[in-house]
Amino acid sequence: MVRISAYFIRRLLQSILVIVGVSIVVFVITRAIGDPARMSMPLQATDEQVEAYAQRMGFRDPLPVQFWNWAKKAVRGDFGDSLWQREPALGLVLERVPATLQLCFTAIILALGASIPLGILAALRPRSWLDKLTTSISLLGVCIPDFWLGLMLILLFAVSIHLFFTSGYGTPRHLILPAITLAARPWGRITQIVRSSMMDEMHRTYMMTARAKGLSEQRVLITHALKNASIPIVTLAAWELTRMLAGYTIVVETVFAWPGFGQLAMHAIVERDLTLIQANVFVVALIVVAMNIAIDFIYATIDPRVRLE
Amino acid sequence: MKTKLVTLLTAVLLLALLISACGTPAPPPPPEATTPPEATTPPEATTPPEPPPAGPTGSIVIVIGNDPATLDPQAKDDGNEHKINDNVYEHLLTRDPQTGEILAELAESWEQVDDTTWRFKLVEGIMFHNGEPLNAEAVVYSAERIIDPDFNSEQISFVASITGGEVVDEYTVDILTDGPDPTLPARMTWLKIVPPVYSSEDIDQFEQAPVGTGPYKFVEWVRGSHVTLEANVDYWGGAPDIGEVTFRPIEEAATRLAALQADEVDVVTDLIPEYLAQVEKSVSVHGLEFPWIRINTNIEPLNDVRVRQALNYAVDKEALAEALYSGYASVAEGQMLTPGHFGYNPSVVAYPYDPDMARDLLEEAGASGATLELIGESGRWLKDKELVEAVAAQLEAVGLDIDVNIVEWSDWLDLLFAGAEAAPDLQYSAHDNVLLDADRTLSGLFTTEGNQAAYGNPDVDQLVLDGRSETDVELREQMYHEAVETIREEAACIFLVNLDNIYGLNPNLEWTPRLDGRIFVKDMVLSD
Repeated sequence: MVRISAYFIRRLLQSILVIVGVSIVVFVITRAIGDPARMSMPLQATDEQVEAYAQRMGFRDPLPVQFWNWAKKAVRGDFGDSLWQREPALGLVLERVPATLQLCFTAIILALGASIPLGILAALRPRSWLDKLTTSISLLGVCIPDFWLGLMLILLFAVSIHLFFTSGYGTPRHLILPAITLAARPWGRITQIVRSSMMDEMHRTYMMTARAKGLSEQRVLITHALKNASIPIVTLAAWELTRMLAGYTIVVETVFAWPGFGQLAMHAIVERDLTLIQANVFVVALIVVAMNIAIDFIYATIDPRVRLE
Repeated sequence: MKTKLVTLLTAVLLLALLISACGTPAPPPPPEATTPPEATTPPEATTPPEPPPAGPTGSIVIVIGNDPATLDPQAKDDGNEHKINDNVYEHLLTRDPQTGEILAELAESWEQVDDTTWRFKLVEGIMFHNGEPLNAEAVVYSAERIIDPDFNSEQISFVASITGGEVVDEYTVDILTDGPDPTLPARMTWLKIVPPVYSSEDIDQFEQAPVGTGPYKFVEWVRGSHVTLEANVDYWGGAPDIGEVTFRPIEEAATRLAALQADEVDVVTDLIPEYLAQVEKSVSVHGLEFPWIRINTNIEPLNDVRVRQALNYAVDKEALAEALYSGYASVAEGQMLTPGHFGYNPSVVAYPYDPDMARDLLEEAGASGATLELIGESGRWLKDKELVEAVAAQLEAVGLDIDVNIVEWSDWLDLLFAGAEAAPDLQYSAHDNVLLDADRTLSGLFTTEGNQAAYGNPDVDQLVLDGRSETDVELREQMYHEAVETIREEAACIFLVNLDNIYGLNPNLEWTPRLDGRIFVKDMVLSD
């Protein structure tokens, strides 16, 4: 227990370092790519108006001063108002978190649900037609560009047959298509890893022992082989989920007009909304760090050899 | 290995087949369903079905590009906000949908009292949706709110001349300007009248839940998802036909099209011309947007008028309109104004496409083979990059060496506002003048002091300056005509095309788009 809390504190400190580092990088980059005042004003604005705005927002102060002023408030959770929507930026991002989480978790559940049985079946009958088909379409899933897949699913399931909605948010009929689109890539990759790690386990001697004990084939597969094969699967699934949350939803959320923080990040960048970009990056960094810690705990749970220290 | 490949190929082919079969658009619509570029009303619109007698019914969904920045109608220069609030708020004056002529709205009459004072007589008995009265005090408050330097409105250039207002009596109000301002009535078609008590009580509330005098009342705003309005049955101008309007942000053009095809939405703005063949019903109208190429007239060889004229002769405007915009654009007639703009000069025409003339002029000026840098950007406007590349190819065809440089938005902005001396040789931009008065275009782009100008001519400067305060309408128009003609003769920029606004509609929706690009839902009728 002591070990775990020591571990936890160390990870927490590391995480804070990561988040501060990311914040500094984003802060500097967003201010280095052009005059933030000019970029957020209309083309008709005169130089005087732009200058007045820049002064008011503090964009003319030296960068370290700007960062200090920002950081002082940020540690209290005040990331400043969004330049675009003039609301507290952090609130605008947090408002969008549930939609993105809903989308990403649905996608990863779909991906796992479809890939694990398929990967096991393929591993059981290597070189069968099922195995070949699985290998081929999982490769396809990895390669298909998400914007293209998304539009094709829209044409097929929303325009040709009115089974789902083209875009928007609210019901399962809105959720299914973007979730499938987002799931395609992790599904493909996880299927491949399930297949190969199961194949590895099949030839281990403990499998023979398990069968010799007279266990049913089902138990041999699920409680022995799959459990031992699960570390790479969990690693990959967690990595894919993190990738989604850390930005891979942007395209899918834009295509499907899904009001998550990926779409918001896109708007923040287009509108050159420095505070909103900053808050968005902070939230994403927080999620990624939390995911990493969570994964460590999952490892320790499924594999007793793993110790958190 | 070989069988694996075969399996894979088969799978890919099957999927491709399946998807292409489903991706094929529905059979092309009957030709009369889509209207030609100039037409504004579909032919079958002549006999609207009898409206149901019982008040506003039905609901429609209008697609906008993005979430509004705010729902405060005076703060931002944001097209998404305007599309929504144009239905919630009203102005003292409005415009004729087709001619652009200024008409009464909340003010029943108006007159200029002296050089700097305009008097408006308000329609009596109008209420804001929350019960506040629309009176002279509300108008003064609205004017003073938007010009307050602390409020820092992005719309300030639309109301720049206003210095304040005065209550004359309950329903009579004076608007004061810093000098004679003949464009004041045009400004009053822009200034939205807000309720003084509600908007000053709680600004956060006001930014999220607008309250106006208009035909639609605010219901809810779910950020990123939708804004909903409902018909104001007590609207002073008579209740609108459609009961509920939802504005939904969909950024991706292909998704907007799909949403229209799937009958999920009823009005799609800024439809891409290529998509029109797949849309059952669309309407279009000449828009206000003019892509253009700024010329830095201060540097060699562009300070020679012959070179600038050659650039204009070299560009085939009609081909650009056809090839890039599928015909949903028209040649800009040597000016960046439409016939609806005050100051449009009908006798000025575009430089004809004449590459031989262009070559001769370049030869004469000793500029054949000159190298010019053309700055463009990508993604901000429809076909921006493609347009720049097409123009560059046409300029190269007459013997110039064009160095196309597509830059990032912030670099593009820096170059646009670098000042006349440091401006690049040629720079693509796009201009739209929603005030429908030539002053905004001429002073911003073609005067020595203009914030986006790289051209200066003392005669034009003087005409624009005088025009801004000339209260004699005919004299003023004369001045603009003269300025427009000089700018065209001097080839102060490369004039290109004027884009149409294209809207995809639900076949059951009857609506004629407006010259000023605004979308008033009260003008729409839903049949069944």
